[in-house]
Amino acid sequence: MAEDVWVPTVCMMCYNECGIKVRRVDGVVAKIEGNPDTPYGRGKLCPKGAAGIMTLYDPYRIKSPLRRTNPDKGIGVDPKWETISWDEALDLIEERLDRIRRDDPRKLVLAGSALLGDGLLIDRAFAAAFGTPNLYMSGAGVHCGQAEHTLCYHLHASWNTFPDYEYCDYLMLFGCNCGFSAYYTTTAMCQKSGDARARGMKVVVVDPVCNTAAEKADEWLPIRPGTDGALALAMLHVLLNELNLYDAEHLKKNTNGPYLVGSNGCYMRDVATGKPLVWDKQSDRPKSFDDPSIGDFALEGHFKLNDRSCTPAFGQLKEHILRYTPEAVEDITTVPAATTRRIASEFGAAARIGSKIVIQGKELPYRPVAAVYFSGGQWHKHAYLSALAISLLNHVLGATDVPGGALGANPVCLGHPGTGRPHTTPEAGPDGLMVARDWRGAPRLPYPPNEVMPPQSLDLIELFPVAVHSSLPTVVTLQDTHKWRIPYQPEAMIIVGSNLLMSMGNPETQMKAFGRIPFVVSFNLSTNETTDALADLVLPDACYLERLDIMHAKILNSRQPPGTEEWAIQIKQPVVPHAPGVRDVNRVFIELAERLGIQSDLNVVLNNYLGLRPPYALSPDKKYDIEQIMDNYYQHLFGPEHNLNWFKQHGILKWPKKIEEAYWRPFVKVRTPIYFEHFIRAGQDVKEMAHELGIVWDTSDYQAMPEWKPCPAHQVKGNGWDFYAIYYKVGPHTFTWTVQNPWLNEVGEGDPRIYQVSLNEDTANRHGIKDGDFIRIESIAGYQITGRAVLSRGIHPEVVAIAGNFGRWSAGIPLARGKGALTCELHPTDLEYMDMPSGNLDLCVKVKVSKA
Amino acid sequence: MRYGMVIDLKRCVGCYGCQIACKAENGTPPGVLWARVLKLEYGEYPARRVSLPVLCMHCEDPPCEKACPTGATVKRPDGIVYVDTAKCIGCRYCMMACPYQSRYFNDKVREYFPGKGLTPYEKLKYKDHPVGVVTKCHFCRHRVDQGLDPACVANCMAKARYFGDLNDPDSEVSRLIRIRRGYQLHPDLGTDPSVYYLPP
Repeated sequence: MAEDVWVPTVCMMCYNECGIKVRRVDGVVAKIEGNPDTPYGRGKLCPKGAAGIMTLYDPYRIKSPLRRTNPDKGIGVDPKWETISWDEALDLIEERLDRIRRDDPRKLVLAGSALLGDGLLIDRAFAAAFGTPNLYMSGAGVHCGQAEHTLCYHLHASWNTFPDYEYCDYLMLFGCNCGFSAYYTTTAMCQKSGDARARGMKVVVVDPVCNTAAEKADEWLPIRPGTDGALALAMLHVLLNELNLYDAEHLKKNTNGPYLVGSNGCYMRDVATGKPLVWDKQSDRPKSFDDPSIGDFALEGHFKLNDRSCTPAFGQLKEHILRYTPEAVEDITTVPAATTRRIASEFGAAARIGSKIVIQGKELPYRPVAAVYFSGGQWHKHAYLSALAISLLNHVLGATDVPGGALGANPVCLGHPGTGRPHTTPEAGPDGLMVARDWRGAPRLPYPPNEVMPPQSLDLIELFPVAVHSSLPTVVTLQDTHKWRIPYQPEAMIIVGSNLLMSMGNPETQMKAFGRIPFVVSFNLSTNETTDALADLVLPDACYLERLDIMHAKILNSRQPPGTEEWAIQIKQPVVPHAPGVRDVNRVFIELAERLGIQSDLNVVLNNYLGLRPPYALSPDKKYDIEQIMDNYYQHLFGPEHNLNWFKQHGILKWPKKIEEAYWRPFVKVRTPIYFEHFIRAGQDVKEMAHELGIVWDTSDYQAMPEWKPCPAHQVKGNGWDFYAIYYKVGPHTFTWTVQNPWLNEVGEGDPRIYQVSLNEDTANRHGIKDGDFIRIESIAGYQITGRAVLSRGIHPEVVAIAGNFGRWSAGIPLARGKGALTCELHPTDLEYMDMPSGNLDLCVKVKVSKA
Repeated sequence: MRYGMVIDLKRCVGCYGCQIACKAENGTPPGVLWARVLKLEYGEYPARRVSLPVLCMHCEDPPCEKACPTGATVKRPDGIVYVDTAKCIGCRYCMMACPYQSRYFNDKVREYFPGKGLTPYEKLKYKDHPVGVVTKCHFCRHRVDQGLDPACVANCMAKARYFGDLNDPDSEVSRLIRIRRGYQLHPDLGTDPSVYYLPP
């Protein structure tokens, strides 16, 4: 045997980028294991990660560029691919792109994938160098956590939140499987959740379906889809108005709870300085919020200021939620009022308000409760308002970024001891509220609100002043750019790694949109539904086990496990070479930049995204390959001794996390909003802009306080519209692409539910549907899908649940074809069903179910 | 010495990581699932679900061993039950004898991508999976002999699996069975499995 080695690298079977080591025997990948040396998984892998070999060796991977010869495009159309050379393919692309760039660079659209993780950076950098604002994440599509990201940056200066499994005693999950086989950092969080449950942490899961978290929970609360926000509001009402249970010290010191709010909903401000005012109970007069002489902040009460009545924001919130009694909410959620009241009271008591804990010699507030959400909080029409209601459960109890509570994903990093890099810590911004510090290369930040401007981008990001990113509107604007005042018509799209037709809502609607782009190029491992329906050229990309990618330090701000575990930066490097006809997407973008004469722009953008400074800054007049770029980046971060070669050998660089990084809340003097006053102004700005543009744009959800409003689905009653169809994620699959992996497909085929349509047994019986029946599901939008029914008593009576992005039809992925169904097909995909502040699409839709 | 496994159903999240970790370690052909996960549901609405990972039970008194006419099924002194494929004639009596449905027959070379030939990985691994024989989980005996845990234990991201000596009262597995009231599946069949479960 000539060779038998283990290569440390990073998994990319989903976006979590867990650390792996890969065994190579005589040039063949013989095993993928979790790397025990990394906090990103500690040597454990989920089924997807362990199955990566079968994606690498999929014989259906394409090995040369393909050109469409059938001029017809559309769903189910055979593109009649012909093989062409890379030179031919790149010439075709160069010719188009060169023309577009001279004309109007905005006519190029780049679509990336969440699955490329930080590797997407080359895609983003190319877009910026080219001069187009049109880059969006389509891989996760409508299943992204946009409301969560928006709120997390406001409240935790992070992309996402985790429960602090190290200390949490009482966890509520709203449509979320964090620590139970889905959500961020799955491999690490599953271990931590197991440890926490073993030491007695109580878990309550709110979910219409008994998914993995509900299966393991101490209590599962089946809920009507789209009503999680109402349940959270009822819990808040019980805590604040019935039990008077909240962390007053935290609210006074760390939030805008004491800021005085006038009858117009806006802050009362100091005339001279413009600073928000609070009421000092000690001196019984108003003061600026940051006045050091304040004796005691009023959180409640009604005050008069220059004849204007006002109330502290916290008092406003308390009054605002008075109507959400558990009894009033029971009809909305179907959760019994007594249960809601009991859970709220248990959750409040478990927060141990006022208690402290000493960790590594530092005394910290101890709040061992957390409410964490995903789909329940945000895949709905009024996502922002629901997500806010759930988030406030943590924030009124002070269970935020302290031991035991909801933790943002590492917003404070003081850097590697040798270099102090990467370094980031949130700061106080306008009105004393927290501004997340940019991890370079991250999407934009939502606070302070971004300026509202006439649309320049297809995703209308200019009309989302408080969102982190936007994607869905692209599907809408492309159908009629004039209507949306987009001052150009797109002429080319480059898709990197995603299968957007299967993840961005209804495929027919998407065809009406993307079908208008005359030239579409897709980088992928194989052909798929999107390439077959839309692409003119398909370029064979290297698999993650064949590629060196940019591993950006911003991973620390979303996938690095929270809490006290050490910091770690890993390398994503090739284990085996790719086939000769395949080219790594990074290399192709760099070559395209050179061909188009924008290589210097690309280097400037990369310098900016990676924060590179001399001597590691890229010189504008030189062409760098991805190895040189990463060599510079690693040295910039960690010094010349930690260059690319060092990372290739060691795989991972670690250093201890300080307590003031892990539990930063007591150490960083910033306030977080519990009252989103700036949303009022942001909404007004959007309203004015919409008026100016002459477009219809609902801004009524730009509210300072949470509220429950019915989704469109809740308003459809009778006439056989008896079910809510919902989408849910399952651990063994990542959106569309893992279905073609035969080991994971075998899991899907063996599992009773993954490829089936789940229905409540009693309801199904009443509809004459039996286990195993082939059924038709017809949505209110007129779309229909079919599937095999599996009856269960572990699903809400009003729900039809369909897992994953299945129902695939492309000839290029024969193993995946014909498995399961695609909920996206049922979704009306337009702004009527979108959460206007955050951009989330409503993923619950009313359907009729019948035997097919 | 008697090797045994404990599976903690409280920790297990039913992710199928064991099924795939076994594939990745042993390279078993399509349909051959030495480790797999059963999904059960019990009670009225709102019913609870349980994921039940199963594998060969490595019985202390294995009926498969008795059924084997050629001595291909061997129980090692440390309790590991394995098939010596050189001796197996493919009669499949053992499959009928096994009450836990833990045995698989390799009837022909099966490709994971049918019609496309074996992948480089399958070519590498199928040397260990000859045609015409019965195979089963062997507790990753090649790993155990090197002092490593079986792959499904080492990989479990819920840390729900434990491996050790059931005869040692101080081993982690013995302690867990004692403290958490571990149980065997179908003890009534009298085979005395070496795989124990801890209640959910």
